[in-house]
Amino acid sequence: MAHTLVDLTPEQIAAFAANEPSWLQERRLGALGAAHDLPLAHRKQTPLEAAGFTLPALPQTASVTVGDVHDGAEVMELTQAIAEGTADLERHLGRLFSEGQDHLHALHLATFAGGVLCRVKRGRELASPLQVSIGLQGGSLFAPHVLVVLEEGARADLIVELQGEAGSEAAVRGAVEIVLGDGAALNYTEFQRLPGRVQAYWPRRAELGRDARLQWILADVGARLAVSDTRTYLRGAGSEARVLASFFGGRRQHFEFSHVMVHEGAHSTSDIEARGVLQGKARAIYSANSVIRKNAKNASGWQHEHTLMLSEEARADLIPELEISEWEVSAGHAASAGPVDPMQIYYMESRGITPVESRRLIVAGFLASLLADIPLRDVREQIADIFLEKVEL
Amino acid sequence: MARLELIIEGLRVGIEGREIVKGFDLTVRGGEVHAVMGPNGTGKSTMASALMGHPAYEVLGGRVTLDGQDLLAMSVDERARAGLFLAMQYPAEISGVSNANFLRTALNARRPESEPVPVMQFHRELKAKMESLQIDPSFAERYVNEGFSGGEKKRNEILQMAVLRPRVAVLDEIDSGLDIDAVKLVAGGVSQMLSDDMGVLIITHYQRILNYINPTNVHVMMQGRIVRSGGPELATQLEERGYEWLREELGIDEPLTEEA
Ligand SMILES: Nc1ncnc2c1ncn2[C@@H]1O[C@H](COP(=O)(O)OP(=O)(O)OP(=O)(O)O)[C@@H](O)[C@H]1O
Ligand SMILES: [Mg+2]
Repeated sequence: MAHTLVDLTPEQIAAFAANEPSWLQERRLGALGAAHDLPLAHRKQTPLEAAGFTLPALPQTASVTVGDVHDGAEVMELTQAIAEGTADLERHLGRLFSEGQDHLHALHLATFAGGVLCRVKRGRELASPLQVSIGLQGGSLFAPHVLVVLEEGARADLIVELQGEAGSEAAVRGAVEIVLGDGAALNYTEFQRLPGRVQAYWPRRAELGRDARLQWILADVGARLAVSDTRTYLRGAGSEARVLASFFGGRRQHFEFSHVMVHEGAHSTSDIEARGVLQGKARAIYSANSVIRKNAKNASGWQHEHTLMLSEEARADLIPELEISEWEVSAGHAASAGPVDPMQIYYMESRGITPVESRRLIVAGFLASLLADIPLRDVREQIADIFLEKVEL
Repeated sequence: MARLELIIEGLRVGIEGREIVKGFDLTVRGGEVHAVMGPNGTGKSTMASALMGHPAYEVLGGRVTLDGQDLLAMSVDERARAGLFLAMQYPAEISGVSNANFLRTALNARRPESEPVPVMQFHRELKAKMESLQIDPSFAERYVNEGFSGGEKKRNEILQMAVLRPRVAVLDEIDSGLDIDAVKLVAGGVSQMLSDDMGVLIITHYQRILNYINPTNVHVMMQGRIVRSGGPELATQLEERGYEWLREELGIDEPLTEEA
């Protein structure tokens, strides 16, 4: 649907990227062309046509705060990284979105503004987690790009928070790319607590080398509309990926999340565990797909999705899928959605616990195993508290 | 604190449109242990559940006061905080919530929000109470009732009672599923708590637990009401002779379950 792009011209992009190196300017212009050619993908349950992040406008730069950075790692605001000409950028930026690119990815790559680059050097093991907070201040459209590169054998924990000033009605069209070299291991925690009127489009991509390991810990509580698809390419033999996705939607929040594991390497294993809580008139469309390509011998891909419904008006659609093109594999899925057990509530109340606190305990118990691997205790508790504060009767 | 007083008058309870408890009267005061016995299906658990406010049971009539307060007008959690405790015949399991966290939350619900129980003190007291009930310390961190054996669930109910210190405890078949030593232990735990501040209503089928708890009063429930009350000797009599003689004496012609 090229008509959404009439306002954005190559000249504008060139001016927007005037201070950038030529390879990046060219990439942006190429992406703009692709955005013109590719239609906005139609999502049956989540019409995106009216969402702010589809606007062909030039975004503002989100603020980026970085915690302590230890020896062996580099964490930099992306604009700065571009100015300094960091080598990884040219190699990786946008690369993981070239496969199955769609209109919004292309629009993002043409217009992204700021974000962060995290790099951990070969063989380095970070003693404490890297922390990054991406914030929306003022403005109506933000397009941060997060690029994480772990060189061969590097190990790290990274915590990324997405937040914004209260009352913000901005739109976010962002992206995350993670590249793990052979034997690298990343525990990636992302906490999305955007203000309640924000609309966010936030796809994620990761690529794993031989024996690399990635754990995505994704916790979504904020935004009015949040759409994300997370795609992990298990390219190397013996690579391992795991998703621990938790979300809590209330009021009229609308979430559409999908997780895809693409197995290319032999003996690669993946596991998707998702748990959502819905209350009010919230709605979640949740899909997962384990794709096992030809030659990914002995791969295994499992999915478990559970949704806890705290209200009768909330709605969840769970769509598990498997796409298997190899013989000797193990794969499967289980999905369920159901209300809180009234006998559990009765039991808790019979001990004097208030109705709302009873629901909080049940929600805490439901999500506990998904948050347990968040590396810092205070971060973990803060995330759990924000989940629990949402519980209403 | 004044002596505990639970007064149940003419309680009538129905489920799914059928009246099960048909005029139940009982008064329990601090220091007293009342045993309620009776054949299967006569409404003992229904009466206990209605006292607690179980959502499936409908109170059709009667009055219940706990220390002068109208119990039936309260929500379930208010009843508990007013001092009622029900050890359930089939306690629920709550995945992901540890026993310790559950109990701490329940204790804090009884206190002003600004004064939660000090965590260290809570754990010290919990540990001591678990020891006295011979509950393995690992149960503090296990999820509430999840994977507990029948007897472990019953002990856990008594542990909760010991921690929450209710005014009146209703124990519904706390002795079934317990091994012989555990019956003694649990009965000891209950007896220890008795005082003017606390009374007990124990529903049981067996004499054994009453050997250790020494009931002040024994009642027989049939067809939804108390049909005979007496002292401990009534329990002995029932143990020896069953319910048939009483049915005959009272002229109750009752099949094993309920009438149609
Ligand atoms: N939730 C329920 N749904 C349907 N019927 C019920 C329910 N609870 C109790 N009843 C019925 O009410 C009657 C009384 O049951 P209740 O559990 O109170 O008996 P009880 O005296 O406690 O028996 P027991 O000694 O076997 O525990 C029974 O006929 C039972 O089937
Ligand atoms: Mg019963």
